[in-house]
Amino acid sequence: MPAQSFEARVRRQGGIAIVDLHGEINSFADEGLSTAYAEASSQNPAAILLNFAGVDYINSTGIALIVGLLAQARKSGRRLLTSGLSSHYVEIFQITRLADFMSIFSDEASALASVPTPAS
Amino acid sequence: MTTSSSQPNEGKPRDATYWAQPVSRLKVSGVPSEAINLNVDGRRVMSPLQGFGQMWQKNYRIRLAGTKSIPAEVIKTWKENFQKFWPPGNRFYAPLTSISPGEVAVLNLSGPGGIKLSTGIMVIYADDESFTFMTPEGHMFSGWITFSAHTEDSHTVAQAQVLIRANDPLYEIAFRMGGSRQEDQFWVQTLTSLAAHFGAEGEVEMQATCVDPKLQWSQAKNIWHNAAIRTVLNTPVRLARSLFRRNAINTR
Repeated sequence: MPAQSFEARVRRQGGIAIVDLHGEINSFADEGLSTAYAEASSQNPAAILLNFAGVDYINSTGIALIVGLLAQARKSGRRLLTSGLSSHYVEIFQITRLADFMSIFSDEASALASVPTPAS
Repeated sequence: MTTSSSQPNEGKPRDATYWAQPVSRLKVSGVPSEAINLNVDGRRVMSPLQGFGQMWQKNYRIRLAGTKSIPAEVIKTWKENFQKFWPPGNRFYAPLTSISPGEVAVLNLSGPGGIKLSTGIMVIYADDESFTFMTPEGHMFSGWITFSAHTEDSHTVAQAQVLIRANDPLYEIAFRMGGSRQEDQFWVQTLTSLAAHFGAEGEVEMQATCVDPKLQWSQAKNIWHNAAIRTVLNTPVRLARSLFRRNAINTR
């Protein structure tokens, strides 16, 4: 049985909200993930980047939670990006076909560079 | 927090053995001759995002009061007897190697008016306390179903969680005109049978949330793979083949 540890922290860079995810994404991550997503979307960012670099376990319930975030993002017309996924988790995103709907970047810099800077 | 451009977690994560390997198309094998094996071979799996209708998350759960079985025992039994707990008239042709990641099963389901619907599932995730099915193109729903058990207030709780949307406009109409209720009854009966197997009685609790109320018209084309239509259209072919086989045996 996986340990019940999950943490999500939100920071901002330019017009993008970055959610740093740590630990295990399973059913216990539900509240933490929802709270972080709500905080990230609160200032109407151009995109939200989920940084999976600190994630070392995702089960199928965790994938369902990410689908829920993706559904929210699509509803509000917001791009949801990912970075820091290991090759294993990139495979899982392909199996579950999340990769069809999320832009996957190997690192944060390339993810940020993909979002056009708003005209000042 | 700092991030780098290197790939993190390149060692094999703990969950690696629980997930299926990526496949582009499903491949069915070892299906009994009595099964209607249509609409699975060569199909791609569908996430809840690829469907047409509203996206629903539904949780069905039952407390196995009185049983000493721990969650892992419940899940082991559920995997081994998956068909047994289904409502009558529906068949789950389990994979030969049991419910394990990457396996594909054929389903023959009872539809309205006595029609049979042939479709399938792929096991995308399975560990000791949960397992998840993903549906293929043509299934009524695009999405996945997770079966799990956990301990709550010293009792084992078994649950089925679906995250689905109707796959095409026809299925969406059916879903709204009683299909949703039929789906609820299906899993209520399944969980009640599972509980009875462990000598437990109880009410199945249900919670439904509409995750995305929008219809995805870009996915209306999914109707091309509609398993209900294809199974019905294939019926004369199957009957003709069956007659031909019977005649061939009689003339020997």
